[in-house]
Amino acid sequence: MHPILKRRSRLFLYLAVWIVFGLLLTVVFIFGGRAPPLWSVYFAVPMAMLLGMQSLSFWYLVQSMPPGETPIVRMVVSWVGAGLASLIVWLVIGYMWAQYLLPDDVDIADEAAGILGLMIFAGAIGISLAVLGHYLAGAFERSRNAERRALELQVLAREAELKSLRAQLDPHFLFNSLNSVAALIGNDTAAARQMCFLMAQFFRKSLTLGREQAIPLSEEVGLAQTFLAIERVRFGERLRSKFDIAADVRDVVVPPLFLQPLVENAVHHGVAHLLEGGEVCVTARRREGFVELVVENPCDPDRPPSRGTGVGLANVRSRVETLCGHRASVDVSATDEKFRVSILLPYSGANAAELRATA
Amino acid sequence: MRVLIVDDETLARSILREHLAKIPSVEIVGEAANGFEAVKLAEELNPELVFLDIQMPKLSGFEVLELLGERAPTVIFTTAYDEFALRAFEVHAVDYLLKPVEPARLAGAVERAAERLRSKTPAPSAHDLAVSARPPGRTLERILIRHEGRVHVLPLERIDFIEAQDDYLEFSCGGKRLRKQQTMTDLESQLDATRFVRIHRSFILNVERLARIDLYGKDSWLAILSDGSKLPMSRTGHAKLKELIG
Repeated sequence: MHPILKRRSRLFLYLAVWIVFGLLLTVVFIFGGRAPPLWSVYFAVPMAMLLGMQSLSFWYLVQSMPPGETPIVRMVVSWVGAGLASLIVWLVIGYMWAQYLLPDDVDIADEAAGILGLMIFAGAIGISLAVLGHYLAGAFERSRNAERRALELQVLAREAELKSLRAQLDPHFLFNSLNSVAALIGNDTAAARQMCFLMAQFFRKSLTLGREQAIPLSEEVGLAQTFLAIERVRFGERLRSKFDIAADVRDVVVPPLFLQPLVENAVHHGVAHLLEGGEVCVTARRREGFVELVVENPCDPDRPPSRGTGVGLANVRSRVETLCGHRASVDVSATDEKFRVSILLPYSGANAAELRATA
Repeated sequence: MRVLIVDDETLARSILREHLAKIPSVEIVGEAANGFEAVKLAEELNPELVFLDIQMPKLSGFEVLELLGERAPTVIFTTAYDEFALRAFEVHAVDYLLKPVEPARLAGAVERAAERLRSKTPAPSAHDLAVSARPPGRTLERILIRHEGRVHVLPLERIDFIEAQDDYLEFSCGGKRLRKQQTMTDLESQLDATRFVRIHRSFILNVERLARIDLYGKDSWLAILSDGSKLPMSRTGHAKLKELIG
C-alpha cells in the first residue's frame, strides 16, 4: 500500500505541498510569462495538484528499484524515461486545460508558445522533487521496517529461548531419561555415567546456544546429535539416525535451536510410535543459492500426523521467515509413512552478515 | 502374584524387574514391549497384575485396557509425566507409578493391588478412564476393534460410515465391515461433531464421504456417498448435515 494513501492526514499534507508549488508556479506565470493573474491561479494550481497525483505512481518505481541494489545505469534510464513520460502526459493535459480555460476568441497556439518553456521547466523541477521525496520516504519506510523486523526477531528469539528452556524441562524427556539412568545404575554403571554426561552436555549446550542470536550450523547439528544420543539410550535399536551435512555448509550461520525441535518432533511424533522404530535423517547441503536442510522421519500410518507437531514447527517457520523474508521457505510434506520438513535458507555472504548484524 | 510388565523401553522394564525381584510374593510371568503384545500376553498368561506404560507405539496403555475389557487384570499404570492421565487416575482411584520408579512406592502399590485382588474390587471402566484422560477439546482419533480374533486400529478418517445393528456397531471402511460392541450414542458423544454426523437413528456419516443428497420422499432423503453407497437420512439428520456443510 502506498504510504501516502495509507492515511488521510498524509494525503492532505502531500496535496498542500503541491498547492504551494502551484502558487509558486502562478507567481512565475504572472511575472515571467505575463499571464493574467486570475487565469494563472486557475491554471497553475490544478496543474500542480495533477502533477502531485501523477507523482504518486513513482512510489512503485522506487520500490522496484531500491537504491544500492539497482545498477546505476538502469536507475538513470528508468527515471529519465518515467520522468519524460510523466512530463508529456502532464503537458498534454495542461494544453487541454488551458484550452478549456481560455475564452473562445483567443488563439491557444499563441498563448501556449508563451508559457510552454515555463511549463517544461516547472514540470521537470516538480517531477525531480517528487522523485527525490519518494526516495527519502522510501528510505524512511525501509529503516522503520528494518527496525520492526529486528524487534520481531527479538521477540521470536525470546520465544524460542523460552521454548528451549521448556524443552530442557520437558517433563517426559527429563523423567524418562532419569528413569533410564536409574535402570542403568543397576546393571551397567559405565552406561549410566555416559548418560549423565550426555544429559549434562545437552542441558549446558541448549542453555548457552539459546542466548545466542545466530550460531554456526555445526553447533546446532551437535546439539541435535546429543539429543538423539540420549533418546537412543531410551529407545535402543528402535531409534536410528543419519546425519549428512555437507562440508561447505557447516559454517553457515543459522538461528539457534531451530533444528533441535524438528529432530525432537521426528522422534516423539514419528519414530516413537513405530513398533520397529525407524531412522531420523538430517541432511544439509548447498542447492544453487540456498542451503537446504531436511529432517525426515518415518511415521505410523495409523496415526494422524498433525498431533502436537504444530507448535514447534510454527515457531521455526516464523523465525526463518522473519530472519530471511521471502528468500527463505519452510516446506512440510506428510505422507502416510513419511514426514519431511525442508528448510531453504539463502546462502550468501549477505545472509551471514545480516544474521550477525541482528546478534 | 502373577505379574506382567508392559513398557516399550527396555530399560524401563529392567528397572521394574529389578525392583519386583525383591518382593517375594511377586512372580514375573512375562514382559511385553508394545500394546499388541500386551493384549496377547495378558490373555495367554492370565496375569493377576499388569504394570502398564501409558505412552507406547500403536496402542496406548488405555487402549490396551479397553481391548482387554472385562478380562483385564488389576492394573498399575506407569508414566513419566502426563498431567491429564494423572488427573484421570485420581478421579477413578486407579493406582499409578511415576518414573523413575521408587522401590518403596512400588512395594506399596503391589500391596494395594493384592488387597484389591483379595477383596475382588471391580476395576474401573477402561472406557471412562480413557475418556477422562483425554486432554480437553480433543476428540477420539481412532477406533479399536477386535474382529475375528484380530485387533484393528481404525483411524477415523478411514471410516466411511457407521451403522447400528442389534447390540453392536458396524464400521464401514473401503468396503470392509468391522463390528464392535458399543452403543451409537456413546460413540457419537466421542466423535468430532464437525466430521461425523448422525444422519439417522442407525447411521453416522463421515461428512468427507458425502457426494450428494437426493430427495427420497416427503421428509426423507438419501445420502449418496462417493463410493456409491446410499444411506437413509432423517429430517433432523438432514438438518444437522445442512447446517454443517451450509
